[in-house]
Amino acid sequence: MRVTQSMLSNNMLRNLSNSYSKIGKYQEQITTGRKFTRPSDDPVSTVKGMAFRTDLNKAEQFTRNIQTVNNWLDTTDDALDQAGTALHRIKELLVQAANDTNTSSDRTKIKEEIEQIKQQLRDIANTKVGNKYIFSGTKTLAPVFDESGMTGHINEEIVQIEVFDGIKLDVNIPGKTLFGNIDNFMSNLSNLLNDDTKTGEDISEMLGDLDQLYEEVLAARADIGARQNRVELMTNRLALHETNVTKQLSENEDVDYAKAITEMITAESIHQAALSVGAKIIQQTLVDFIR
Amino acid sequence: MRSTFMGLEASKRGLFTQQTALYTTGHNIANANTEGYSRQRIIMSPTLGYPGAGLNAPMTPGHIGTGVKAESVQRVRDEFIDRQYRQETNKLGYWETKASAISQMEDVMSEPSEYGLDEAFRLFWSALQDVSANPDDTAARKVVVQRAIHLADSFNYIDTQLKQIQGNLGNEINVSVEQINSILEQIANINKEIQAVEPNGYVPNDLYDKRDLLVDQLNEYFPVSIERVPSGGNASKVAEGSYTIKLNVKDNSGSYSEIVLVDGGNYATLRALDTSGKLVDGDEDTDPDNPQLAYLPFHQLEISMGNKTQTIGQENFQEFKGKLLSLIDSFGYSTDGTNNTIQGYFPEMLQSLDKLANAFVQAFNKVHEAGYTLGKSDDSDTSVNGISFFDPVGLTAGTIKVNDALVKDPNLVAASSVQGEEGNGKWALILANLQSMPINNKESIGKIKDKDGNETTVELPDNLGLDGATFQSYYQGLIGQLGVDGQKANLLKTNTETIRLTVENNRASMSSVSLDEEMTDMIRFQQAYSANARMITVIDELLDKVINGMGRAGL
Repeated sequence: MRVTQSMLSNNMLRNLSNSYSKIGKYQEQITTGRKFTRPSDDPVSTVKGMAFRTDLNKAEQFTRNIQTVNNWLDTTDDALDQAGTALHRIKELLVQAANDTNTSSDRTKIKEEIEQIKQQLRDIANTKVGNKYIFSGTKTLAPVFDESGMTGHINEEIVQIEVFDGIKLDVNIPGKTLFGNIDNFMSNLSNLLNDDTKTGEDISEMLGDLDQLYEEVLAARADIGARQNRVELMTNRLALHETNVTKQLSENEDVDYAKAITEMITAESIHQAALSVGAKIIQQTLVDFIR
Repeated sequence: MRSTFMGLEASKRGLFTQQTALYTTGHNIANANTEGYSRQRIIMSPTLGYPGAGLNAPMTPGHIGTGVKAESVQRVRDEFIDRQYRQETNKLGYWETKASAISQMEDVMSEPSEYGLDEAFRLFWSALQDVSANPDDTAARKVVVQRAIHLADSFNYIDTQLKQIQGNLGNEINVSVEQINSILEQIANINKEIQAVEPNGYVPNDLYDKRDLLVDQLNEYFPVSIERVPSGGNASKVAEGSYTIKLNVKDNSGSYSEIVLVDGGNYATLRALDTSGKLVDGDEDTDPDNPQLAYLPFHQLEISMGNKTQTIGQENFQEFKGKLLSLIDSFGYSTDGTNNTIQGYFPEMLQSLDKLANAFVQAFNKVHEAGYTLGKSDDSDTSVNGISFFDPVGLTAGTIKVNDALVKDPNLVAASSVQGEEGNGKWALILANLQSMPINNKESIGKIKDKDGNETTVELPDNLGLDGATFQSYYQGLIGQLGVDGQKANLLKTNTETIRLTVENNRASMSSVSLDEEMTDMIRFQQAYSANARMITVIDELLDKVINGMGRAGL
């Protein structure tokens, strides 16, 4: 084949632009940290990447949701614990009050403390997470109690939060019945203590009701505890899921730096070689030798 | 008997011929870098021997040579390689332009990334999840509205940008057609010059080169074939004549035919017309019946020559390739001349995005309208059914917009599935879960309850046209297709580039100037010239002997 200068320079230009574009590609990979930057580089990985991102985004979202769930459950548990302690104190006071040797001033003191505890229990029923009353069912902006007693706005609906695709957790314990019963009991107790005709035996009879209430609170706490366990499992599962998706996403599109840099250096030296060889070939013609 | 000065004549011819050859060598070197130039060479042949045939021809010992003449100057070129080169140029013109158009589209869509439409969707669904977990939280509601604005903006942005590129493509169609017209005119002018020169027996090689280069350029835009028409008169055997340039098209019956673009000194004028019969350009011209349409699609190429006008549509040259077809394919075309059936890369992407925006707005609005807004805690009557989340008029990617009322009052986000329950985020969750919901017609979504406890089942609207894809998978499909098309265009571009380089090298091997070769020729011709001159000196000495040295014996 007859070879001419224009062919040599064409080939050289082509080789140089090829190696330039290769270097450019590696440079882009190294600076962006990604194997590909446009769908046509790798259509399959692009679509996979979009799906992974959605998965990851969901996992992050569910993790955030779980934090909210934890908030609710922890606060509920805390509130129920306080309610339990309060009921326990009432039991002590009840046992004390059931003793007929109490003077009327003793009774008044007990009654006053019970009044306080009643108020405290109402406060517990009005526990808030953020600006939400957690025991008001789905009427979270309405308190369970106001000064005049139980408000009419609350309900016993369940609040749910999604913690995984299609998995929803109940996060609240509706307080209408539970705290309503406690409040009624407290009112009855107050009335009883106000009535001087009631004997210690009458007061003792209340103990059964109190135990019942205590059981209810305990049952609610057990329920919350079970849910907390479940949340913990979900948290672990989500964390694992998030790690997996992150890994898959990374495998799908992150650059292997060692590889990319090595390839970049190889491409660079090939480019250098092309340049110097090209320079040598192109310089020399017969013209240089004819004098 | 030969004449006294005969030897001088032969050597003089030698001088002239070698000089001519040297001039040609000089011309070759001078044009070593001229695009389209093919090297020329002198065909030398001996002049007729002495004596000529005849009864009274003098008797000589043999037929004595009388020297050399330059028979003709020819360009060294291979027509077969030219054909190959033009075919590949044609394909390369198509794939190069297509790859560039797709690459611009990819830039706009910017997937996969943290800025694209996909991410805007993700952020929106995510914000709805937050509302479902905190339905009474105004901040979370504000975020949903802001993310929705971002989503709508992303749709608007992509739509605007794609249309802008589409406009540039339209402009490029117009510029290309002007370029083609200019090339046709130039070829016709060269034809005229050639027709004037050839009958005198000359072979205008440089004009041929120039004309062939123009034909090469023409093939980048669309495929043409050439036919030679001899100039007549005293034209040389190697004269190439005038070119008749024909455009290869597939006529509507499916057979192939040709449309004459240049015939001697006459040339056709081309115009690319849209469906309204106006020139395709980068200016928006909206169809009154279809205001969504920013650019009327290409309809036909009008080719007028003299008083004859022919039109061809996109389908007439799709069997062949070229830059013009590629631009038309990207810009959009209508084969039936109406704006109802627009095909092409950019219009189809825009239509798909419109379809997605439409299905999304319709589905989302319908579901949102069923839910209940945030009311005051003490008065359940202030919790009412949702309004349209997105402006119900904005049903395309270009017009999608969040309802202003929601921007002003985020409490209007209908997050509750039961009237008057501010802590109920179930409806927000159902809205959020539309993310992974296959969008089928009339699919049942969930139940809502009014304050009297009446339950209603909510369904997706009819005719959304996503055929059971989720919003995301539909969009992923578009991006996947874009990627595959782009990959194909890039691959074919690289392949044709490689093939064309091979053919180009073959052509260069045949036709381009080699300086080494010219230098060798230069030495060859220079030495031959000197030798001829030396021959004249020798004859001079011979004659000197005869004239001055003879008849003086014994002096």
